Amino acid sequence: MALVSGPGRGGMSDMPVEMRLFVDKHVRYIQSLDTRKDELEYWLTEHLRLNGLYWGLTALHLLGHPDALPRDEVLEFVLSCLHDNGGFGAAPGHDAHMLYTVSGVQILATLDAFDELDRRVPGGRQKIGQFIAGLQDPETGTFAGDEWGERDTRFLYGALNALSLMKLLHLVNVDKAVEHIQSCANFDGGYGTSPGAESHSGQIFTCVSALTIAGRLDLVDHDKLGAWLSERQLKNGGLNGRPEKKEDVCYSWWVMSSLANLKRLHWIDGRKLTEFILQCQDPELGGLADRPGDMVDVFHTVFGIAGLSLLKYPGLAEVDPTYCMPREVTRRCLGK
Amino acid sequence: MASHGVSRAAATTVRSEEARQKELQQIDTYKDLVNQVNAKIVERQYTIEVLSLITKLLNENPEYYTIWNHRRRVLITLLALDPVDRGDRASPEELIENDLQLTFSLLRKFPKCYWIWNHRDWILQKGESTLEADTTRRLWSGELQLVNKMLHADSRNFHAWSYRRFVVAQLDRIQSGSIADAEAPKSMIELEFEYTTKMIKINLSNFSAWHNRSRLIPRLLDERKADHNARRQLFDNELELICTAINTDPFDQSIWYYHQYLMSTLAPDCPEQSKIVPNLTTEDRTKYYAHEMEYIQEILEDEADCKWIYESLLHVAQCFLVIDAGTDLFTTSDMRNWLENLQRLDPLRKGRWEEVGASLGK
Ligand SMILES: [Zn+2]
Repeated sequence: MALVSGPGRGGMSDMPVEMRLFVDKHVRYIQSLDTRKDELEYWLTEHLRLNGLYWGLTALHLLGHPDALPRDEVLEFVLSCLHDNGGFGAAPGHDAHMLYTVSGVQILATLDAFDELDRRVPGGRQKIGQFIAGLQDPETGTFAGDEWGERDTRFLYGALNALSLMKLLHLVNVDKAVEHIQSCANFDGGYGTSPGAESHSGQIFTCVSALTIAGRLDLVDHDKLGAWLSERQLKNGGLNGRPEKKEDVCYSWWVMSSLANLKRLHWIDGRKLTEFILQCQDPELGGLADRPGDMVDVFHTVFGIAGLSLLKYPGLAEVDPTYCMPREVTRRCLGK
Repeated sequence: MASHGVSRAAATTVRSEEARQKELQQIDTYKDLVNQVNAKIVERQYTIEVLSLITKLLNENPEYYTIWNHRRRVLITLLALDPVDRGDRASPEELIENDLQLTFSLLRKFPKCYWIWNHRDWILQKGESTLEADTTRRLWSGELQLVNKMLHADSRNFHAWSYRRFVVAQLDRIQSGSIADAEAPKSMIELEFEYTTKMIKINLSNFSAWHNRSRLIPRLLDERKADHNARRQLFDNELELICTAINTDPFDQSIWYYHQYLMSTLAPDCPEQSKIVPNLTTEDRTKYYAHEMEYIQEILEDEADCKWIYESLLHVAQCFLVIDAGTDLFTTSDMRNWLENLQRLDPLRKGRWEEVGASLGK
């Protein structure tokens, strides 16, 4: 894994202390996640296992430690979550759902394992593609999460994300999906979970990313949405998700990735945001939290680190704002 | 695994050996329950007994989505039982009430858990296809009470707002399907509009309420079959409401966004279905813009350090220029002056203000 140009990790000890990223601590924290089987929390969060693996693996790649988790064990686990119908569950024995199918595909892409998938599960890629395509509502263009039918722009984005990584976008009606996104747009330039819902940074990330994949960013009012997104930055440097809400590290990602796709990242103060994200580290045991002093988790760890990567923090691998994956991986999958 | 607002100090105290043993025991009990449920589902034991095991498990872990799916598998079977086979076991109505109670108590504890909201939606739809029309209507009306409670606890919960819109749509659908009463009850849209007024009065900063209001207005006007004057009246009332709000707290973003919304409906390129007053003349627009700029500049006299005022002035000025490039109400140097104040007051967005400056020309 190539690191982006600029000072490497070795140079980081020269940084002022408030600008230090504790790379080794974060690597160890992520490695420790699967060894916590004596904690009830480990079992209570089994429904997030595959997402967690995607978050951890992506963070490690961005930190420049792509091999910190054993590749064959990761691959083995991912395949153990794959159902006959082509969908992935959160863990073995959990039902197939879009949310985990996307994570499964993202992990396979990051491991460069699509060929291995097809060798071990004949027609594997095609099967996964069919599972996703089957969840599109032909009338509205949106996507359900699973057979039970809940619809949300998160699933629409997930579908386009995973299908494009597998080069199977032609299995769905992209124009219809774009139409649906348009119907979720609000006067402020943002998007909600469904038509009529309030603009929310998380949903804006899904809609802007989906439009990026569809090649239809021309439908977004860049200045209007860019302005709304830039107003998410608060005095302490952190970003919130909606007007008059508190800052939170995960919004560093939802907001910044959209600003990056709209080429408006310079509309917020990157230095202050970097400092805020770094304050959310646990300097002893590694990992990042939602806010300074809070308990860390792998979700905020990856989105904090991915945010730092967008902010060009020295030594981190480049992240793709549309996919939240290493740019090197998406370049390989998409051929661009 | 995605925790919010949990203090690290509280979470990282070292466990004593005793505490560790206790936790290991909890893990065993929990895993045992999970295995029991999964085994019975594999055997397709879709019974009342399994349903109560599932209830127990969901109370411990409502995020376990597969278990909610199992619950539906069991319920589908139980709801379809022939009354003769059912005997004295739970009736469809009891089953549905039971799940409404379960999801209600879980939502109080986990108001942001998607799966609980989903299940509630599912069970009500199921109820509709199983129960009498009267019962269904009673159930859906009850949902509005639930949402009121949820929004009372957290007035910005976007799950609750989405669910509110959904419930209202269901009630409207049921209402329009039934024979009109002699004394027709007030339409849901009117009541919902009143609800946003109430929420805004409690807290001006509730953008979720302002947003919902913006979504209700076009439908409200259609339903009232409002003519040009009635539409103007409503628009003027909204402007007055928001101007009072601005005066009360000019530092609140929510209020400015609603103001921005009202201004956006004046623009000639505003989509037809979003317009509040269609067929405005350029002269009408000019008057509105001029009035707003005047009003906002008045507030400026007391609040020279409020960046939102300058941002709004610039915004309204830009809208103005679209319809009348030759206006003498303000000059480019006024605009540059507002921008300089923005640069002074809002250094976080320096990059944005630089670009706005470039767009103003030399
Ligand atoms: Zn968060």
